[in-house]
This record gives sequence, structure tokens and C-alpha cells, in this order.
Amino acid sequence: MELNELKNTWNKAKSPGQNQLNVNPELMKRMHDQKYQLKLRRIILPEIVGSFVCLAAAGFIGFRFGKLDTALLQGAGVLSILLLLLLPVISFKSTRQLSNGNHVDQSYAETLKAFAHQRVRFVRLQKLNVLLSYLLLVTMLVLLSKLSGGKDLSANKYFWLYSFTAGYVFLLFYSNWVKKYYRKTLQQAEELLQELAA
Amino acid sequence: MDKNESFIAAIKGSEGTIFKIASVYADGAEDRNDLVQEINYQLWRSFDTFNQKSSVNTWIYRVAMNVAIYHLKAAKKRVPTVSIDDQLMHSRETEQDEEAARWTLLKQSIEALNLLDKGIVILYLEDKSYEEIAEIVGISVSNVGTKLSRIKEKLKQQLNNQL
Repeated sequence: MELNELKNTWNKAKSPGQNQLNVNPELMKRMHDQKYQLKLRRIILPEIVGSFVCLAAAGFIGFRFGKLDTALLQGAGVLSILLLLLLPVISFKSTRQLSNGNHVDQSYAETLKAFAHQRVRFVRLQKLNVLLSYLLLVTMLVLLSKLSGGKDLSANKYFWLYSFTAGYVFLLFYSNWVKKYYRKTLQQAEELLQELAA
Repeated sequence: MDKNESFIAAIKGSEGTIFKIASVYADGAEDRNDLVQEINYQLWRSFDTFNQKSSVNTWIYRVAMNVAIYHLKAAKKRVPTVSIDDQLMHSRETEQDEEAARWTLLKQSIEALNLLDKGIVILYLEDKSYEEIAEIVGISVSNVGTKLSRIKEKLKQQLNNQL
């Protein structure tokens, strides 16, 4: 098929509603609002639940902070609380980026630029999220046994040996998966930005 | 003339264009219908702020293509698929299979392009001049020429590979 034939095919294609435009602004607005609410709920609800869990865990560590009797445990406690507060903020930030102001009548290139920049920022935030989640996993492992059973696992040399080996393997696979998952998105966004800058 | 009447008068005749743009950016019939609805809604919403700086046509294309991009942003996971869109082709029955196959081929070729090229090629297929394409996309006229010749090459290659 030649390019001219492509043009013919494009021109021949007609929509079922062509020449039958029915615009009912009230109906359009209602349908749009309903869809928007549904979409928002689908995105925001898990965010809220996740944030609530993080805050509850931070509160739990805060209330039992007195039980942490060594500098290492106290350090892990402070770090855990900070991470539990930071992770929901990052998550909300990346979600907010997706619903940020849309300027529908600007030029297509401007929209693409904003779109590609957002994609790059989103992937960076996701990578940061993975790294911080891993750090939280380690600090929580140290804290949990002490806070729930009163045992200080950090005094056990085998704990460090096994947890770090397992943690390292986990991090290796998990970060590779994240890298693969977002590689195409990031690559496409960067290529698009390069082309728009040319 | 109230807002609705002026709006209908402004976009009358562009329904097919909106539908085709949505078909190229959306994934499947349901997604396409959602996108058509969203484009119409955003056109109606932004009609108040449309200040005649550009032509109605330029405004319609810009809004339609920008909304399509925002639609991509909202769809978290998008697996590109190509379905034969029976609603889109209204040819006589004997020609239908051939036309549907051509439409599928055309859609596949456009889908393989990046978002910038996709926008430019849609406008080329809509018979827009280089000046109009430059205004809608927001790049220089000479850039449109350079990009279009590259896109045509890419499309030719893809068509040769697919046939």
C-alpha cells in the first residue's frame, strides 16, 4: 500500500455519528464528572489506605519509642518514622503530577513536552520509592522483634548475616524489575524530549 | 445565538475528524468512545476561552490531540492492540473486508510512530498544509517538512514489512 492509498483510507473512514452532532452540555458534564469521580476514587483510595497504614505504623513506633534502649534501635526508630512519613508524601506527589492542570488549547508540542517531563519525574519518584521502601524494610526488621516481643535481634550476629544477604538479593531482583518495568517509558519520554528540543 | 448553538456551529463537520483522532490514540472501541466524549466535553468547556486568535480548525485539532495525550496519561497501563474497527468503516459490504484491512494496516503503522510523529502524520492525512501543521503542533514550518519526509520513510518501511 502506498502513502496515497493510506490517505484515501483515512479520508474514506467515517464515524457512525458523523453529521449527527448532538451536544447536550448538561449530560456531557454529568458523564464527565461521574467518570472523573470514579477515576479519582480508584487512584486516591489506595493512596489514602496506604498513608493511613504508614501513619499508624509511625504512631506505633513513636508510642513505644521508650522501649528502644540502644542507640542503634533508637536510630532505626527515628529513621523508620521519617520513612513512614516520607513515603506517602512521595506517593501523593507522583499521583498529583498525573492529575495536574491540563491546558487543552496550548500547542501539541508544549503538551508533549509537559507529558514527557512528567513521565521522567514519575519514574524517578518510583525509583526513589523503591529504594526508601527497602530501607524501611531493614529498619522495620530491626525494630519489630524488639517492639513486639522485647527481643533485640540486632544483638544476634546471625540476624545481620541472614537479613542482609536476603535483603541484598531481594533488592537486586526488585530494583531490576523496577528498572525493566519503567525502562521503555523513560526511554520514550527522553527520546521525545530530545526530538522536541531539536 | 446562545453558547450551545455557537458551539455546535463551530464544530459542525469535525465529528469525523474527532472520531478518527480518538481511534488512533485510544485502545479499543470502549476507550475510543470515552476519548471522543472527553474531547467533545473539553471542546465545549474551552469554547469560552477560545479567543479567535487561531482558526476554529486549529483550536479543534489542538484540543482533540492534547486531550488524547492527557487521556494516555490517565490510562495507567496501556497495551497497544489493534482491532478491526467495524464501526469506523461504512463502505459497501463487498468492499468492507478490504477497507477494514487497510484501516487496520494504517492504524498499525501510525501506532508504531512516536507521539510527535503521530500528531504530525494525522494532520498530514487530514490534508493540512505545512503552515497549518506548524501552527497546530507548535514547531517551525521547515521542521514540519523535515519531520514529514522522515515519517513518510518510516511509514513506507513499515508498510513494506507488513505486506
